[in-house]
Amino acid sequence: MLSRVADSLYWMSRYMERTDGILRMLRINYASSQDDIHEFSWKPVLQIFTYLDEERAATISRDTRAVLQYMVTDKENSNSVLNIVTRARENARGVQDHITKELWQCLNDFYHTIRDEQLVRGLQTDDPVSILDVLIRQGLLYYGITDVTMARGEGYAFLNIGKFIERGVQAADILDIKFSDLEYDFTRMDTTWWKYLLLSISGFELYLKTYRSGFDARNVVEQIVLNPNFPRSILYSVNRLQLHFQRLKDDLNKEGYEKLDFMIGKIQSRVRYTTVDSILQQGLHSFLKSVKDDLYEVGTAFNHHYFAYL
Amino acid sequence: MQTSELLNNYNVDPRTWDEMYSSSTVREQYKGVVDFLRQMSIEELSKKEELAKRLFMSQGITFTVYSSGEGIEKIFPFDIIPRIITAAEWTYIEEGIRQRLKALNLFLKDVYNNQFILKDGVVPFEMVYSCPHFLREMHGFPVPHDIYVHIAGIDLIRDHDGTFYILEDNLRTPSGVSYMLENREITKRIFPDLIPKNNVRTVTEYPNILHRNLVSLSPRQTAHPNIVLLTPGIYNSAYFEHTTLARLMGVELVEGRDLVIDNHRVYMKTTGGLQPVDVIYRRVDDHFLDPLVFQPDSMLGVAGLMSAYRKGNVAIVNAVGNGVADDKAIYTYVPAMIRYYLNEEPILKNVPTYQLGNPDEREHVFGHMNEMVIKKTNESGGYGMLMGHTATEEEIDRYKAEILKDPRQYIAQPIISLSSAPCYMNGRMAPRRVDLRPYALCGPEGIQIVPGGLTRVALREGSLVVNSSQGGGSKDTWVLAG
Repeated sequence: MLSRVADSLYWMSRYMERTDGILRMLRINYASSQDDIHEFSWKPVLQIFTYLDEERAATISRDTRAVLQYMVTDKENSNSVLNIVTRARENARGVQDHITKELWQCLNDFYHTIRDEQLVRGLQTDDPVSILDVLIRQGLLYYGITDVTMARGEGYAFLNIGKFIERGVQAADILDIKFSDLEYDFTRMDTTWWKYLLLSISGFELYLKTYRSGFDARNVVEQIVLNPNFPRSILYSVNRLQLHFQRLKDDLNKEGYEKLDFMIGKIQSRVRYTTVDSILQQGLHSFLKSVKDDLYEVGTAFNHHYFAYL
Repeated sequence: MQTSELLNNYNVDPRTWDEMYSSSTVREQYKGVVDFLRQMSIEELSKKEELAKRLFMSQGITFTVYSSGEGIEKIFPFDIIPRIITAAEWTYIEEGIRQRLKALNLFLKDVYNNQFILKDGVVPFEMVYSCPHFLREMHGFPVPHDIYVHIAGIDLIRDHDGTFYILEDNLRTPSGVSYMLENREITKRIFPDLIPKNNVRTVTEYPNILHRNLVSLSPRQTAHPNIVLLTPGIYNSAYFEHTTLARLMGVELVEGRDLVIDNHRVYMKTTGGLQPVDVIYRRVDDHFLDPLVFQPDSMLGVAGLMSAYRKGNVAIVNAVGNGVADDKAIYTYVPAMIRYYLNEEPILKNVPTYQLGNPDEREHVFGHMNEMVIKKTNESGGYGMLMGHTATEEEIDRYKAEILKDPRQYIAQPIISLSSAPCYMNGRMAPRRVDLRPYALCGPEGIQIVPGGLTRVALREGSLVVNSSQGGGSKDTWVLAG
């Protein structure tokens, strides 16, 4: 496969994963903002998904409609849903002969949907949840079409590599920033707060089923970092990354394969063979940061060994 | 209101050949479609038109216009009523194009090798050597199977009496074939069952034939040569076409930056290292192909490509240097080429053409500017053109001054009226002028022309310019089986 094509598939997939993450986060936080929480703030969300400096983040962090505008449709925000969907589509456009026609049409439709001004105006004037739902559904369509129509070849491997690197980074980010908001104070037991954190990454129901003893920060860390069956946990993302990466083994690029195999294997063992206790001993922030840095490094190594074409 | 009423308002210009009507009776080939349309209400037709637009949009059959840093998606306007060509008309067109292409191919081989046609004085030396598309880099090198023109999109028009004329030969990188294919797909969706009922010949073979021809050009003797389609990239207005063709043929779509030359061989950069490339179907113009030989600042091509080509290590489609044969001044000599190389009379006629480089002809043209269309010999897409009958005195004078600076770069043709075909315009049927571009594929086994083509239509009332860059649209083009 052309290096440029692999690169585009990887980024298309990362952007789509990010889109999904942002939209879910917005949907749940919107609900949370309407709930009875004192001093609800969008600050953590803005910190995870935008590059706003603290001052500017503070000016809009209590204005729900302004946050929605900035994060969904703002043209100046390079991480707005509008901009990342546009980039995902641009990437898809350049590799149309490597994705199925259905997948291309799905991304193209998503692009036209997000640019439909009448629709997104509703984010300002209407119930934003229904509009976010329309967008989330477009993203789900993307996942479904990828699963049902894409051949399980090299291209599919790069799609998944991008997806799970992005997802792993997101999980680490969400956890880190949410806890930093509490200044890593594990004794705080605000049930609603935990509930919305878990809901925002679709992990609430699983939590209830796994832990019967109410909300405990340690359990939340365990689920988001270590649960191999929670599709948004760090361990799950890293396991998947490793699985899809292995499909590149037949490739002629032996040097690159060995290098990345080592790097991914290292992250995987680090996450797999640890416990909540040892994470806390190391310090949650330092653990999450090192996982994130390692994942970024894997991305850079892919760039170097697989995507270099310029 | 019924559609039949719409048809009553269909006013054909009496000096124009209409594809549907012959002195107010519907021609045989259009009866099926007209009967079908009669059963439909305007609302239904308008819905069909909406559906067609939506299909183009959601399938991304669009080109992007960039303004103020933002891309706006546009669709190439599509008229829902098909243009119909009878079996007899098609046979005639097919034979004519085949003959013409044979002669043009021989001309290219000759002009880049022995130059018999120049030495025999049939085509003047200065005509060829003054053409900017005549490339010395092509001299004396045998292209595979002696084929220069692998893909041709020859434009035909019809005068008031229905006679077909060749308007221009597009022998470089003719575009539009994806619209031939996609327009048909859209018709299938908006008018279910209409195509099978009317005995229309299929166009779907096109990518298969092209792929077979490309495979046969591989310089390496291998069962699975690596074929690539070289595109200028996603900002090119024909990018949609490049992806469609790559997808339909199952070949790799590459940009210049994906390729590299090592030791006069072409490779593509893949995740598994460099892979050899055998055949390049390029949609990049000659002058951008190789910065070492042509335009040095081109980012679209590959440095060293021409030397790999000349060594015979890679096949390039269409051949480099074809522009000398579809130059608008050389065009005048095509009938002479047909007589010279084939010893046959041309089947399809040329539009009479005046060379403005010739003082006598220039004199004549300057005296009859109002009846002429004047074109630059090496521009396409309707750019740099003057339509004498609509231009103001001032425009004409300015254009004349322009011509006198370099008369060789201009030709003039009497204005041919172009046939009209029915179009669905804002709830009624109206005649609009059309041309026809069939696509001919030339491989080692001969010339094949897929029964169909691109009908371009001038959507503005009375306009004779069909180019998409000048507000033209297109139609599905039906060739009926016998």
